[in-house]
Amino acid sequence: MSRIMCIDDEPAILRLLEVVLRRGGHEVLPAVNARAALAALAQGPIDAVLLDLGLPDRDGLELLGLIRARCDAPVVVVSARGEVQEKVTALDLGASDYVTKPFDGDELLARLRVALRGSGRSITKAEVLEHGPLSMDIPRHETRISGKLVALTPKEFAVLQALVEADGRVVTHGALLESVWGKAHRDDVEYLRVVIRALRLKIEEDPARPQFIRNEPGIGYRLS
Amino acid sequence: MPRYLSSALEALLAVAVVSALTSALLPTVGLESASLLFLLPVLIAATRGGTVPAMIAALAGAAAYNYFLLEPRFTFRVHRLDNLVSVFVLCAVAVVTGRLATRLLAREAEANERADASAEAATLAGLLSIEPATEAIDRALSYLSARYGQVVLVDEAGSSAGEGGFSSLDQSAAAWALHNGDVTGHGTLTMAAADWTFFPLVRRNRPGDAVLALARPATGLTRTRGSIEGVAALCLLIGQSRDRENLLRERRERELAEARDRLRSTFLASLAHDFRTPLTVIAGRLEQLERERPDARDALIAARRLDGMMANLLAAARIEGGSLSVSRESLDLVDVIGGVCDHLVLPEEVRIIREVAADLPFVQGDPVLLHHVLANLVDNALRHARSKVTVAARDEGGRVVISVEDDGTGVAEAERALIFERFRRIEGSDRTDGSGLGLAIVKDFADAMGMDVEVGQGSSGGARFEVSAPCVKVGQA
Repeated sequence: MSRIMCIDDEPAILRLLEVVLRRGGHEVLPAVNARAALAALAQGPIDAVLLDLGLPDRDGLELLGLIRARCDAPVVVVSARGEVQEKVTALDLGASDYVTKPFDGDELLARLRVALRGSGRSITKAEVLEHGPLSMDIPRHETRISGKLVALTPKEFAVLQALVEADGRVVTHGALLESVWGKAHRDDVEYLRVVIRALRLKIEEDPARPQFIRNEPGIGYRLS
Repeated sequence: MPRYLSSALEALLAVAVVSALTSALLPTVGLESASLLFLLPVLIAATRGGTVPAMIAALAGAAAYNYFLLEPRFTFRVHRLDNLVSVFVLCAVAVVTGRLATRLLAREAEANERADASAEAATLAGLLSIEPATEAIDRALSYLSARYGQVVLVDEAGSSAGEGGFSSLDQSAAAWALHNGDVTGHGTLTMAAADWTFFPLVRRNRPGDAVLALARPATGLTRTRGSIEGVAALCLLIGQSRDRENLLRERRERELAEARDRLRSTFLASLAHDFRTPLTVIAGRLEQLERERPDARDALIAARRLDGMMANLLAAARIEGGSLSVSRESLDLVDVIGGVCDHLVLPEEVRIIREVAADLPFVQGDPVLLHHVLANLVDNALRHARSKVTVAARDEGGRVVISVEDDGTGVAEAERALIFERFRRIEGSDRTDGSGLGLAIVKDFADAMGMDVEVGQGSSGGARFEVSAPCVKVGQA
């Protein structure tokens, strides 16, 4: 059972979150504004935070920074404005993931599960990464899908590695481009599209309906 | 009295004085010195009036010399031929000094004019330097008016409206000056019969947005080239000042528009927030309800659709406000179509069929706008479909055509041209639901991304919408 702090100024939303999260086996710690959230943060350990960006007493992105500075708990941003740029900024500022209102309960639980999984992992990098049927041997540059060896180019390997390391969390275009191509190519989304397509043709069962590498329009990619 | 006339009279007077003096003093000064004295009136007349008064002085002097001094005195008879030499000398001196003097006088006049012009320019520049610029220009105009006569600033609208009662010739002259950057009208070579002179406010050969009109002088005389050139130079100063003012105004307007845009998008964002918060509660609770009671599914679909409508209203507000920003990215249609069709809560009886190849060329567009376009088309198709909606994409060499087809009643041919109009609903068919906003946004967003959208009939008689999107050029990706 995880302790999840839910920050939202709307009590009805907090009650809804309580029902949804309890179904997923979590304990809910509600906070109606930034002040209450910061106070609760000082009280005891928190496993994850669900943060609505539209708060009455403080800018949501600012609070995100404060929370990240005070604890390691992953923050899943709940955005009601639906602005792509706002989500990208939140992810760049250290949010683990985001969901958009109105959210699907199952989807919210799935995101939260992924976020919690990411935070528990040790910092030292494993030599063999696994995600579902996929396994990547980093030192030997080998990728297998369901045990079958797949030949990847170095760029494809690097992109896939970054996605596998995120373990289901969304990785922004900018972050992927920066880690694989370098800072100067942060905006060259075309590079990424080409590599993602090539990857899908190699590892997806039906590359026309990708179930493994999922796109988030205007934001980035995640593994499912 | 004209200058040369007064100089001629002065010359004659001087000749008279010299004649009187020499004839009285002839015994003491002698004929040679006396003849030299006749040069004086010629020189005086030349320096003061130029060649013509000098010649008058020379001829009058020669005559007087002959009459009063030469033997036989008090007759014009010439006794000896060498006496004629003095007449020639006087005339030659008159011509040469007259020429020199004329040139000097002209230079002096030019220098004076130039000094006047720079004094005028300095005064005008002083007047133009005050703030605000509109008032400075008014002051400059009244300064010009005080010095040269009635002036009017004529802008593009003013010249066609015939401000100040311009005749048709004057209007043509104004238009010529405006579009060619030439000084035109009275006192110039172009349309000289006009009553006004029109001065451009920008340098030659550039079209401007306004000209300055200067009325013909009240005396009825023609303006000199010099004064026209002077005014033309002053008008350039006024033009510079106007340019500066225009730049400042444009910047102010742009800043204002940006502030308005910021305010609008903040407002729209809070509106979305305020709307989605209760909707989240409703949809969330319906989702729970639907787990136990499957007949709550319709309510859940309806709640989800409300969110789509909100997105459409926000999109419409953005289009109306002109604050739509469009990015141009290369997009994989597999992603775009997947993003629209995955996670859709479908009505019981309808299914979605996808026919998209994994190796289609990338298209160029805005990921969020294209998602919105296809989400609206799929939503529209789902509302009209009997059993299936087909989403397909095919490569047409340079463009990819994405089609969304339903098996409903379709759109009558006569209605197809109107279906993308805002708030248009199709009468006389079952397509009467919806505000008509969704399809209008499809069209507007597609236009903004350089995509075409068309409606036709599908293979099963239903509606078939096609979006044709430009591909990313090879080598760009």
